[in-house]
Amino acid sequence: TVTDGSSSAPLPGVNVLIKGTTTGTNTDFDGKYTINANTGDVLVFSYVGFVTKEITVEGSNTIDVVLAEDAAQLDEIVIIGYGSTTVKDATGSVDVVTEKDFNRGAIVSTDQLLNGKAAGVRITNNGGSPDSAPNIRIRGGSSLNAQNNPLIVIDGVPIGNDNPAGVSNPLTLVNPNDVESFSILKDASATAIYGSRASNGVIIITTKKGTSGKPKFNYSTDYTVSSAGDGLDVMNGEEYTQFIQQFHPNRAGQLGVPAGSVNANQSISQTLNGRDIYNTDWRDAILRTANSFNHNFSARASLFKEIPFRASVGLSRAEGVVINDNYERVTLSAKLTPTLLNDNLKIDFNAKTIFAFKNAVDAGGAIGEALSFDPTKPIYDFSSDNRFGGYYLTTFDDGNFRRIIQSNPLARLEQRERPENVRRFLGNVEFDYKMPFLPELNAVVNFGLDASDANISEIFTDNAFETYRFNANNSDINSNFVFNPGVNFEENQRITNTTFDAYLKYAKFYDSGFIDSFDVQTGYAYQNFKNDGNQRRFQYNLVTGVREPFVNPANPNNRYLNVLNLQSYFVRGNLSLGDRYLLTASFRADGSSLFTEDNRWGYFPAAALAWQIHKESFLEGSNFIQNLKLRLSWGETGQQDITGSVGFYPSIPLFLTGDANSQYLPNSSLYSAQPFNPDLTWEKSTTYNVGLDFSFFKNNLLSGSFDIYKRNTVDLLATTPVPPGQALTNAFIDNVGETESEGFELNLNIVPISTDNFNFSLNTNLSYNKTEVTDLNGLTEINAGGSLRGTGGDLFRHAVGQQAGSAFVFKQLYDQAGNPIPNAFVDRNGDNVITDDDRYFKQIAPNWTFGFGLNFDYKKWDLSSSFRGQIGGNVYNFAQLNYGFTESAVFSSQNNLTNVLNFFDGSANPTINNVNGNVQFSDYYLEDASFLRCDNIALGYSFDNILKDGTVRVYGAVTNPFIITDYSGQDPENFGGIDRNFYPRPTAYTLGLNFNF
Amino acid sequence: DDLETAPLLELSLEELLASDPNAVEGLVSRLYASFALTGPSGPGSSDIVSPDAGEGAFLRAIINLQDFTADGMKNRWGDDGLDQLTTTSNWDRNNKFFRLFYDRAYFTIPQCNNFLQVLQTADFPDEENIVAETRFLRALAYYNIIDVFGKGVLATDENFGQSELLPEASRQELFDYVESELLAIEPVIRTTSNYGRANRYVVDMLLTKLYLNAEIYTGTPRWDDAAIYVNKVINEGGYTLDNNFVRLFSADNDASPEIIFPLIAEPLTSQSFGNTTYLVNGNLSADTMPLSQFGAAQGWTGHRATEAWYGLFGNSANALAASNDVRASLFWTDGHQFTMTDYRTWTDGYPSIKYRNTFSDGSGNPLDFSPTDFPFYRLADAYLIYAELALRGAANTTMSQALNYVNQVRTRSFADPIGMSELTLDFIIDERGRELNLEGHRRSDLIRFNMFTGGNYIWPWKGGTANGNAIPESYKLFPIPVTAIQANPNLTQNPGF
Repeated sequence: TVTDGSSSAPLPGVNVLIKGTTTGTNTDFDGKYTINANTGDVLVFSYVGFVTKEITVEGSNTIDVVLAEDAAQLDEIVIIGYGSTTVKDATGSVDVVTEKDFNRGAIVSTDQLLNGKAAGVRITNNGGSPDSAPNIRIRGGSSLNAQNNPLIVIDGVPIGNDNPAGVSNPLTLVNPNDVESFSILKDASATAIYGSRASNGVIIITTKKGTSGKPKFNYSTDYTVSSAGDGLDVMNGEEYTQFIQQFHPNRAGQLGVPAGSVNANQSISQTLNGRDIYNTDWRDAILRTANSFNHNFSARASLFKEIPFRASVGLSRAEGVVINDNYERVTLSAKLTPTLLNDNLKIDFNAKTIFAFKNAVDAGGAIGEALSFDPTKPIYDFSSDNRFGGYYLTTFDDGNFRRIIQSNPLARLEQRERPENVRRFLGNVEFDYKMPFLPELNAVVNFGLDASDANISEIFTDNAFETYRFNANNSDINSNFVFNPGVNFEENQRITNTTFDAYLKYAKFYDSGFIDSFDVQTGYAYQNFKNDGNQRRFQYNLVTGVREPFVNPANPNNRYLNVLNLQSYFVRGNLSLGDRYLLTASFRADGSSLFTEDNRWGYFPAAALAWQIHKESFLEGSNFIQNLKLRLSWGETGQQDITGSVGFYPSIPLFLTGDANSQYLPNSSLYSAQPFNPDLTWEKSTTYNVGLDFSFFKNNLLSGSFDIYKRNTVDLLATTPVPPGQALTNAFIDNVGETESEGFELNLNIVPISTDNFNFSLNTNLSYNKTEVTDLNGLTEINAGGSLRGTGGDLFRHAVGQQAGSAFVFKQLYDQAGNPIPNAFVDRNGDNVITDDDRYFKQIAPNWTFGFGLNFDYKKWDLSSSFRGQIGGNVYNFAQLNYGFTESAVFSSQNNLTNVLNFFDGSANPTINNVNGNVQFSDYYLEDASFLRCDNIALGYSFDNILKDGTVRVYGAVTNPFIITDYSGQDPENFGGIDRNFYPRPTAYTLGLNFNF
Repeated sequence: DDLETAPLLELSLEELLASDPNAVEGLVSRLYASFALTGPSGPGSSDIVSPDAGEGAFLRAIINLQDFTADGMKNRWGDDGLDQLTTTSNWDRNNKFFRLFYDRAYFTIPQCNNFLQVLQTADFPDEENIVAETRFLRALAYYNIIDVFGKGVLATDENFGQSELLPEASRQELFDYVESELLAIEPVIRTTSNYGRANRYVVDMLLTKLYLNAEIYTGTPRWDDAAIYVNKVINEGGYTLDNNFVRLFSADNDASPEIIFPLIAEPLTSQSFGNTTYLVNGNLSADTMPLSQFGAAQGWTGHRATEAWYGLFGNSANALAASNDVRASLFWTDGHQFTMTDYRTWTDGYPSIKYRNTFSDGSGNPLDFSPTDFPFYRLADAYLIYAELALRGAANTTMSQALNYVNQVRTRSFADPIGMSELTLDFIIDERGRELNLEGHRRSDLIRFNMFTGGNYIWPWKGGTANGNAIPESYKLFPIPVTAIQANPNLTQNPGF
């Protein structure tokens, strides 16, 4: 029997050969083999992805062999778009992450498997909610206003950039358990074949396949408990009482509630001057210990002994740590890979159906309110005159009407339901036909469909404070209000993305001569993205306060329909020479519906050369160098997706009908001429890449790859000011400017110990990326968003000579004690006034990111851990600004107090009493965002004798156990660069069972 | 061909004209709306790219630049750059509020040019009048550029669409252009119009303003010309003073006989954070004021008047309270302090309650968006201009008529009439403050009376100090936004910036 060293599972299909002969056989489905051999013969066991083993036949009739996985995975299949290659033969910069490297523990979405595992890939989720959006950047992203997300291809279907309504994370719509591998294409020679959408890299997700042997089943289940840990250090009721008495003594009468006025079912901490003072931990009130589980069942079999087949069903239920933040998902998948017509026709059929349900709570709002709600107020008020369903809200009579001054964060979570349901089908069928008359020629046709149907509704309960309105028909302040329970918003949306590609591939192998082989693929690709939806909107009657439909006569259903169409022609050739040189060249023409006919097509060439140095005669037989490959590549890629900033029709003159609330002259409908730019065309990136793949010492003790690259993006699509008076607006998207990126990536795998009983391996990655704006067509900077307090003050700029999206700040002056002096800044240009000319830039995105994982296997035990981090980069501590000045307690209203950071223990500095003027643009609030996070630690034990013909693995994992950072706020890992009301990333404990049989 | 995608909701010109017989009216509506709305897709939408949609409306920009920089109104928010306006100090070319004004004007102008080109594609009913209205709106936008920035580019329907950068146009060139445009349309445009639209007297009013300030704009006074057109407004326009001053700023002001040109606001159908909503909500705060008394659902705790305004009615809280002038009663004093020791403290200075969402009888429900139209031009302004022109010796004016007009304005608000000896230019600038503050005129008026820059007239927080300081002559113009100069290098910066 031949078994897999890491899983102890039998290995079917292993090639067994008597050395020096052509006599051989394959192992069967159970890993068993029979061969006639003589004593002294050497048996060679080889299998893709495993280290070949040679065993000399001695006396025994039974030779059991354990094959070790080949760490370098030289023969691993790499899906590269319109075909595949192997790591060994790849000419571009391609990372492959397979199941054994995946993150373990509390995994809800597919991106979590990959986080920290590949050099140059930075994944930052928007927080700890089960469906929080990942921001994925490969090599930093080079665009300003165009799309910076990589292209994601799932089983041959490139997915659209528009998420279905209600889905924050498109990768929650693939069951992580179905994923077999990720291929990450980074340099232009690898991505160019995907053309138009690939300039920010490509992530190809391949799901697991069926088998040609006996049926195999897998059932896995896990259960996770997560909690949020500590939050920001705001004051508790007692500290706050002391703070108000000390800093705002004239407002002390607003602490707590009038004695006896509230029936809160909560103990009163003290009574002060006729006021009941409570001690409420609002953060605690809105958070919970969350329970989540996953069940996955999959079957692999050969249907009719002919058709390899895999099907899976998954059920996940994930709770966020914020109350009522619930996520459920059912996934079904099927994969059929039959081979017909004498093996001439290969069919690859994939179908995935996903049902996702989410209750989208306003977590950000509640988290912000939980920080700021006066801690001396109670959570509930069950007195009979409470209007808001038993929740305490601070109210104020303005003469005619009782207004809400501060809303209860728990009520925000519990008085509204927002079910968001998505059904999605993602599937494709690919036919690969080998021409019987010319076996070197294949024709491949692939149809893909990504269709989803989403609906959202927003429903309020009775007495929900958000629906509380004034009824002007009633002048009695005790009853002149109305609540509007029920549906407040509805949206239905259908996304239909269709893809089609057809190509011919010709491959020829030569037995002798300098040319080993060459292959050519040429074809056509079609992608169409359609997003069609409508909304039901409401407004409140100006007199009665009753909710009524908001109807826009020009568009009564509030329908929207966006279509993006892309078409491409491509050709690629690979040439292998002298058993050591590999050449690839590709050319692709891409058309986008976003551009006018004259500017529609972009042309993107790429070329690469790989030199397998270890095959040179001077290295042959070297024990030290097992593999050494040098890669050189150059290529151009394009970017056209600007729909996020200017919609789907930016190049043609159009008129927009004004909304029902944006009319002007009576008795006519308002029509507005929309800005457009007929000259828009492709943004182009040129990437140069030099890479080295290596494997040193025996058993690939040390292997990895090193890539260094430079990328220059021109005709940058960016929203820039237009010459005044010469366009239909003041700023519009245009092809202006350039960015330049440079960086390197290092992947290193070390296997210091590899014995039958004990394995220890370490895989690490380190990357450096710097993307700088080098030209903006005469402009020195353009706005890049990032609003802080108040209106219209943006922190970020894209500025020439700076990293894109840098913070534009003043340099803070400090007194002798080291305290910041509010509104005192360094006069950097020495003109004796502080103006914008004294501001400077600080980068937000880090230059250095890294990850590493440790794996120990001892007999049946396995222990793994993953770490990830960044060095450099900055994050704006918005909580420090917003809750960190002494006036903030009394800022929002004369009639109300709000909580603040703890000024007594140094969490905030009491010398900052207000944040007027330019205080918010001080570099005081920017902090170093370097961190090292432990993503997970998992410990497992495999039993191979509990089930007949099967294994059982039990494991426990902890996700996000700790983070090491100097950042003083809640969490330095922040994609947007401004740490606001951040959804805490929980620490999760998982217990799981995995049955293979 | 699938690469030729076509939108469902947006229309090409041909589709638009085919689908709505009233399409041209809708296109005109859009041009007028540029002065009050921020964008076509609700109050959160913006025609111009700016960090905050609400800040991008023409009216809000006018109030920010004409009233907050002057003596009578201050804002406390301290938003990025707003302090520079409110304290007339540290002005710089990066200030977004200057840019928002500039960009809104240069949004409106090409929109007008584009529409004029559309009108040339076919014959439309009432085309001549519509062309005249469009040219008026374009001239109004240019007038604001002349007044505020002093120069710009001359973008017209003739050069619209050219990619070559336009040359810089001087203040004189822009003045000449606006004058010629207005003189060309004045005889053409109708004398009556539907509510909210320009007619001949609206054009005359703009000509009056242009000539009244001509000396500032070009160095050559044109008092006589100003008198010609103000007389047309007064004598031919058919407007009369509203006998209820408060109605001019209330929800029912669309029925006022005094308003020559309104900017329309509606609480449901015409919502904007930059129309009168900015004036009503901005001056209110639930901290010290009963919002529903003014028909408001929101108070933004922002603007307050200073004693440079309400001090014109009485130099102390008691004196103000004792005034029988209706206009003196339109300040909220409870819980507020007469002197603005710190402009950032809400309770320093009195909020103006001139504008409100309620009807003039006090009725009306709390609204998020104001129903009150903005009196962009009104007869009392014309009367006071007449008096000023008489004092400046313009032809076709008499001092007795001037006194008559001034006293009509005063007695309408139950202020005591004045005698001829009191009618001086100094009196006129004060009366203009009493009558017209927070209506977008104040900065221009102070410049015309040479009271804005320098130190001969000081107001609270002028130049950045509580008691006021001199400010440089260069502050008669705002800096040209750096974005404009970078996008068109033909443009040059104003001196001092």
